[in-house]
Amino acid sequence: MGTSRSDSVIRVDGLRKEYGSTVALDGISFSVRENEIFGLLGPNGAGKTVTVELLQGLRTPTAGSATILGRDVQTGSLALKERVGVVPQSFHTFERLTARENIELMRDLHADPAEVDTVIEQLGLDAYADETFQDLSGGYQRRTGIAMALVSDPDVLFLDEPTTGLDPAARRDTWEQIRHVADLGTTVVLTTHYMDEIEYLADRVALLVDGRLAALDSVSALIDQYAPGVKLVVRATDGPGETDTVETALEDAAQRTYRNDTGDLVGTFADRQTAQDTFSTLHAADTECTIDLISAGMEDVFLELAGGTLDAAGELR
Amino acid sequence: MKRLIRLTTTLLRDWLRNREAVFFAALFPLLLLLIFSLVFAGGPTEFEVAVQNNDLQQTDAGPGGEPTELSEELVTAMEQTDVITVERVDPHTNLTDTTQLEKATGHKRVLVIPEGFDERVRAESGRVRMTVIRDTINQTGAEIPPSDQDAIERGLAALGDDQPTGANGSPATVTLLTTPDDDAAGPVTSILNSVVGTFNDRSIGVEEPTAVLATEQRGNASFSAPDYFLPAFIVAMILINGVMTVPSAVAKFKRDGTLKRLAATPLRQHEWVLANVAQQSILAVALTGVMIVVAWAVFGVTAIPGPLAIALIVLGAVAFTALGMIVGSVIRDPGSAISLGGGIALPVMFISGIFWELDVMPSTIQRVAEFSPVTHYHRSLRQLLILDSTDGVFLTFGMLGALAVTFLLGAIRLTQWQEFD
Repeated sequence: MGTSRSDSVIRVDGLRKEYGSTVALDGISFSVRENEIFGLLGPNGAGKTVTVELLQGLRTPTAGSATILGRDVQTGSLALKERVGVVPQSFHTFERLTARENIELMRDLHADPAEVDTVIEQLGLDAYADETFQDLSGGYQRRTGIAMALVSDPDVLFLDEPTTGLDPAARRDTWEQIRHVADLGTTVVLTTHYMDEIEYLADRVALLVDGRLAALDSVSALIDQYAPGVKLVVRATDGPGETDTVETALEDAAQRTYRNDTGDLVGTFADRQTAQDTFSTLHAADTECTIDLISAGMEDVFLELAGGTLDAAGELR
Repeated sequence: MKRLIRLTTTLLRDWLRNREAVFFAALFPLLLLLIFSLVFAGGPTEFEVAVQNNDLQQTDAGPGGEPTELSEELVTAMEQTDVITVERVDPHTNLTDTTQLEKATGHKRVLVIPEGFDERVRAESGRVRMTVIRDTINQTGAEIPPSDQDAIERGLAALGDDQPTGANGSPATVTLLTTPDDDAAGPVTSILNSVVGTFNDRSIGVEEPTAVLATEQRGNASFSAPDYFLPAFIVAMILINGVMTVPSAVAKFKRDGTLKRLAATPLRQHEWVLANVAQQSILAVALTGVMIVVAWAVFGVTAIPGPLAIALIVLGAVAFTALGMIVGSVIRDPGSAISLGGGIALPVMFISGIFWELDVMPSTIQRVAEFSPVTHYHRSLRQLLILDSTDGVFLTFGMLGALAVTFLLGAIRLTQWQEFD
């Protein structure tokens, strides 16, 4: 678990954070490589935000240490803040200032910033730069947040739940912006509880459960290791009740069944042949359902490692 | 320094676009200045007193003619005070049911002059004059031969026999009836006592006073209500901004994550505190200018702040903004922050003579007020802005300076820059 490659820009060693008798982070260790999108995945309360805020110098660890770009995050915090960009969870800023004014403020708080107009153009904010922050849509507010982080010309960018609360189009749009940032050479640390976000963006993923590091690897490697099979997703066309007729058949054939966050019935299979046979059987039953045969994903990895799944709010079920 | 200046301008811009803050911090004190100055600038207050004069001259059919001479002289004496407006109540109006006073007369206070007032005053006047003569003889007895003293005594005794009927050694009594909710009953009673005293003097022939009170104002030629309230509400504006608006804004920035976002930049917590203090200091000077212009335009008050006045305004803004930063640092909810700030600012303003002069307050409050820096603050500002004097100003500088340093250190120490909730 973890990496010891010499090009690591972030090194975390036995990081632990306690609040009284509550252990928020239980001695995790990992490294983040240069110019990768590193995902921190986990349910609410898993320790994702605590981890990134420890790395940003916004919290003091109970034990352990961490370095970014070779500097200790506690003792070298001030110098690191020049080189680290942050988009916090539930991002907010001066709401009566325009997007441009907020970005300019961030520029002036850093010693060696990027050009404001360049950042605005990169993030497609040109048409909205002179709107006050409070008048921007959620998606453009998030873009403004990313622009405020990027104008410091950071080597490392922390994005804490960057798409929470956004509609699907805005989420997809934000993903493209994150990809774009990574393409420009910035190392991105992304915390999220969205499986699809991790699958789409992350080069490597650290899965946090109850403050502990449950797994760390690339998305494909994690799927290969923890959820190598395929799955059938049964979606009722006339309501959930119609799936009752196929539920028993699916439970008999699949390794495991569960309902995902949209209420679909999901069956996982260790091998593709069994899944295809079941798919044919269910189709032949002529039910009022849509049945899809798909490869397993991070949700199945999470299911395997955390013993549950995540709902839309990131709560473990 | 670049970060500090940039953040200060950002805070100023954010404040100027916040309508609630502009109203609460700028227009509210301005409205108070206008209202209080107008209320207290109208000269002496006039009290209305209704008079039921039952002392009427005898007609062939009995009493019912014109009011008697002396009863009317008393009414005239009341009118000559300039602070009493006399209204007449019909002598036939029944005032025996005192609970119905206002309903029966339409007035909250009625002075009743009884029948026989004129006659009794004349009788008492004669008796008192004779007493005065006897006292005079007693005091100068050694200089008057005994035979002359006996002659005077006999003359006085003869005069006593001629006194009008009703002279029984008790004064004529006029009665002031008031309703329970008459807030002005106290001052009106005092004024009427003074009127009756003067009337008594005149009735016994004392026209020339033996001692008089003269008032003389030194320094500024005229000192009006706006002269008092302009410095008072400049201080109120600084206090409201510093101790109520700032904590609310800081708590909001803390709660919505703006402060956490700033803490993740190279900005340091003392720069955050100093930027807020600088913003409020600039606002204090600018808003003082607005208030001075309004006071000049509306009331003709001339108050041109010199360097000392501006320094005092800034020092107060620093002290009270730093106090507000302390309040904002320990409270998370903006509503609670403004309540706590109000819990500090409003009582301090009340006991420090912001809303009225300390002289009208109980002596205990006046003693407490002397310990309030706000008392010294607006008093010194008045010295500098209105009276062109520096009396007590340097003590105030010392007091506010000590508070500014203490509160600034406290604000920097208590402002959270890590471990946000």
